[in-house]
Amino acid sequence: MVQIIADEAVLYPAANLRIRFSKTGALQYISHLDLVRTFEKVLVRSGLPLWYSEGFNPRPRFSFSTPMSIGLQSLYELLDVKINKRVNYEAVVEALNKNLTKECLVMEAYAAQTKFTDICFSDYQIVIKTKGADEALAQKCEELLNKEPLVVLKRTKSGEKDTDISSMVRTAGVSLQDGCLEIAARLSVDNEKFLNPEYLVSYLKQQTGVLSGSLLEESYSIVRTGLYDKNENLFR
Amino acid sequence: MNHQLLSGILKSVSKPGRYTGGEFNSIIKDKEKVDVRFAFCFPDTYEIGMSNLGMRILYEALNRQENVWCERVYAPWTDMDEKMKEYGIPLSAQESGDAVKDFDIVAFTLQYEMCYTTAIHMLKIADIPLLSRDRGEDAPIILGGGPCAYNPEPIADFFDAFSIGEGEEALPELCALYAKMKKEGTYTRKGFLRELAKIEGFYVPALYEVSYHADGTIQAYTPLYDDIPKQVRKRIIRDLDEAVYPEKLVMPYIETVHDRVVLEVNRGCIRGCRFCQAGMVYRPIREKSPEKLCKLAKCLYENTGYEEISMISLSISDYSRIAELTDMLLEWTDEKHVSLSLPSLRIDSFSEELMKKVSSVRTGGITFAPEAGTQRLRDVINKNVTEEDLLQAVGIAFGAGKSNVKLYFMNGLPTEEKEDILGIADLGKKVVHQFYMTPNRNKARPVSVTVSVSCFVPKPFTPFQWVGQDTIEALKEKQAYLREAITDKKIRYQWHDAEVSHVEAVFARGDRRLSKALLLAAEENMMFDAWDEYFNFEKWMDIFKRADIDPSFYANRSFGLEECLPWDVIDCGVSKEYLKREYARAYACQTTPSCAEHCNGCGANQLGGKTRWCK
Repeated sequence: MVQIIADEAVLYPAANLRIRFSKTGALQYISHLDLVRTFEKVLVRSGLPLWYSEGFNPRPRFSFSTPMSIGLQSLYELLDVKINKRVNYEAVVEALNKNLTKECLVMEAYAAQTKFTDICFSDYQIVIKTKGADEALAQKCEELLNKEPLVVLKRTKSGEKDTDISSMVRTAGVSLQDGCLEIAARLSVDNEKFLNPEYLVSYLKQQTGVLSGSLLEESYSIVRTGLYDKNENLFR
Repeated sequence: MNHQLLSGILKSVSKPGRYTGGEFNSIIKDKEKVDVRFAFCFPDTYEIGMSNLGMRILYEALNRQENVWCERVYAPWTDMDEKMKEYGIPLSAQESGDAVKDFDIVAFTLQYEMCYTTAIHMLKIADIPLLSRDRGEDAPIILGGGPCAYNPEPIADFFDAFSIGEGEEALPELCALYAKMKKEGTYTRKGFLRELAKIEGFYVPALYEVSYHADGTIQAYTPLYDDIPKQVRKRIIRDLDEAVYPEKLVMPYIETVHDRVVLEVNRGCIRGCRFCQAGMVYRPIREKSPEKLCKLAKCLYENTGYEEISMISLSISDYSRIAELTDMLLEWTDEKHVSLSLPSLRIDSFSEELMKKVSSVRTGGITFAPEAGTQRLRDVINKNVTEEDLLQAVGIAFGAGKSNVKLYFMNGLPTEEKEDILGIADLGKKVVHQFYMTPNRNKARPVSVTVSVSCFVPKPFTPFQWVGQDTIEALKEKQAYLREAITDKKIRYQWHDAEVSHVEAVFARGDRRLSKALLLAAEENMMFDAWDEYFNFEKWMDIFKRADIDPSFYANRSFGLEECLPWDVIDCGVSKEYLKREYARAYACQTTPSCAEHCNGCGANQLGGKTRWCK
């Protein structure tokens, strides 16, 4: 087996190890904070050469590309970890996957060359399983999501207020797939303009009455499929 | 719980992560290949249940049996409970998502009396008949255990059997008997329970008849058959170093109450405080070796990634090899950024040296438990610490930069007088004064002393088991008196709800007749009584009235020393004679030395075991 640590020499300054992973299934139900807590332990038990902050209470340093709210799944999530030794990337992937459940799968590890602040857009696939889903409803939903202005009640630090989110919806297409409404949307996720995809669902719910039936029969899922920079190139 | 089918529901409740299962290190087996499916239920929320050490140990002990699959079950929070009711979803286990009703054995760990309603509610939402006598051949065997099983009588009608004492060996034995009878085709509920009652440590309430005197007190417990023991003796693990202990922990995805490695360093306590049930029922005192503990700690760190190791014990500083253990751990923990914490420190053993080694003392506040305000009352309860000990301990803490101290006391202890209550206020003041007397104190922050006062609840198998609890009015008066006596603004006063303590006392010292009240509570959908927001005193009083139960008969009445007690059917190792001696010494204000100083002949040595102190 290939060792995680490629070279015992201590790096200075610490290097940024980037990890790409997915978070699906039951893991959609944990909060961003819980994901942070989980990874702190995963990184430790995987035996990565973690860099610890100096001072009274040394902690490992790591950060996630974008916050993930409860209910959101992702096939494209990035995590940067500060390490103090050179590593074999394949061994890192193997060690992490051994210490995670299959609903959180690490696909790739590499040296970070970019900054998370350069992430501008995220793609989502939203599937709505609801009664009365047909081509006409799909078309209506698409029209609604492409409306200007697109006003939703948005939660902010200073309370709830009506906000026009149309500038944060880069593209939104709705089609009918296996009797479900399927939305493919590219939304803004940069620091200033971060749009939680849940707003699209709640907007359609309010406008069209989808998802108003039994919780056992009607449901929706949101999956992040990619992150993009300002030129809409895949962010790595 | 099947999260794909139920995603609509999971998205509509708070903290859905507690219902999905799928945690790292959780144990999945092929259900077709096991003989016994065991549902281990914790009658409280996931966050609390996941932190319970006993459940972690027994999960490991049971799953080490190849033919047994033990899964975890927690109580859904009220929002989820409503949704499950609305959509007809039964209670299910974390690992498989299968309905609890379809398991062979459904066990509940009963950690506190106020969880009884939640346990019974869980049976209800699992769609299992609530009363033992109503269960048919297809229903699972309902088992109880944990500290409250030492007086199982108030909940006896709901349980088929109780496991008394430590379960690491007893529960696999139960499973083996179940599997054997099923295989032979000899299994019937009755037949199984009758056989089970012959295994040491299992109490089957239905096999005992209880008779009562005209005044309502118990006359006798009579086994229905000759081959059923008159008294059920608790089980213990003989050698803790050899006992099952998990080397992996199920890792919760969401934050739990104690999210860290827990190392059990010993069982039992040498002190013998007269109000403390744990100090009696976990005897004899057995210790793990530092070598074994260190090995376990390393293993658990590597398998979990937790960077905090908490050494738990009823009184950690009484562990005979504490210095050796901490030194051995510190050899590697510092380098790995792992911190050590000790949750329970005795005032008289608090040293600068120990404080330096342990992080929980380095950060945050610090807690001490003098329990009573005067030396006289501390002698009555056999706390064996002095005011000097306390002032020295807080002095060390203040000197090390602390400015927050919390002090635990009790109101309503036997023989308590106004003077003792004033003593609590006085001790608080002296601790504040000690802060200003400490030369190298933290001058940047103001001193804050919290005086937290609970209400004394008499518990079975303690020298105070016979003592009637103060009435709610008396307790409230005492609380008000103390509130007035505390004038110093630097002292924060907290007190416990006297009404909760009253109901707790009813169930702690109750007998079988209380099942009637619990059944009414189940009809009213009562649960989470351990949570302030769900405890409803008026409702309880109404229920007692409707069940024709006088709560003061159980809570406030002083039981006669010769009276047959509801828990006399259980033998916890400590003899009734010893408890009586201790009771008499309490009222004579005589202290009793710890087991380390002198063997006081409590009787627990009769249980055997590799003990540190017993003769």
